Amino acid sequence: MAVDMVEDPEDAGDARVCVGVISGAHGLQGLVRVRPFTDVAEDVGAYGPVQSEDGTREFALDVRNRTGKGQILVAITGVGDRDAAEALKGEKLYVSRDRLPSPDEGEFYHADLVGLDVVTTEGQALGTVRALHDFGAGEMLEILDTGGRLGTVMFTLAAVPDIDLAARRVTVDGAAVLWPGNDPSDSAADSVADSAADSQENSGDSGPDGGVDG
Amino acid sequence: MARSVWKGPFVDSYLLKKAEVARASGRNDVIKTWSRRSTILPQFVGLTFGVYNGHKFIPVLVTENMVGQKFGEFSPTRTYFGHQADRKSRRG
Repeated sequence: MAVDMVEDPEDAGDARVCVGVISGAHGLQGLVRVRPFTDVAEDVGAYGPVQSEDGTREFALDVRNRTGKGQILVAITGVGDRDAAEALKGEKLYVSRDRLPSPDEGEFYHADLVGLDVVTTEGQALGTVRALHDFGAGEMLEILDTGGRLGTVMFTLAAVPDIDLAARRVTVDGAAVLWPGNDPSDSAADSVADSAADSQENSGDSGPDGGVDG
Repeated sequence: MARSVWKGPFVDSYLLKKAEVARASGRNDVIKTWSRRSTILPQFVGLTFGVYNGHKFIPVLVTENMVGQKFGEFSPTRTYFGHQADRKSRRG
């Protein structure tokens, strides 16, 4: 996971985000290849100097070019030859969360949402936000409950009515959260139809299979 | 080979029934389905489906430009290792 959020809410101001990782050296002049984790690849160096994972070293990045595989070529101040560049291979690059520009009204950084507690509108704790995804059908929140189950909910105003970053809490409509397994409200007929369709699909039956054509 | 046009789009009948019930009730409940093979029909527009990907349900809010696609196309089955350093989202 690229986002490195501090667990203790009191230390939330020290949160850092990983903007990329050095994947290798390029050429003889000390350039490095960086695999960016930012929306725009060149933004790896846009938020000021980056830190190493342990926070002991700081690098000033000068983005030079893109490679063909979505990576970028970067010159690092103080790294002048290939040996020095190769020594940095695998180094993750972090910036402080405070360096990111303020989001627009109604927008949220994924880095701010990941790790927040999830409660229902009735106040029942569900778990924590694990990730946000968009697979082409709208944004969704992935929720990890204490039992290790993964739930999902659409990231809409109706399903997620309140986000309180200060209290590190996301309020969701409990009925809109999808958990694995059958709903008790699903009728037995639906379950039978599902399993019948599955068995026909597995048997490779190419005839009428419970579907509707046209 | 493409599906013959005379057959029309395929959709599992039980999914069609569930969608009709949801539309008639007027509630905005999520319809859980395992039928990734079903085609998205125009009468599904505006409904939200939870499409199973093998271990969780991915919510799919059907819009007009999804008509003709299969539900499975919006619910990837492989583990997603994306990164989100400075990615932002807005509630829809």
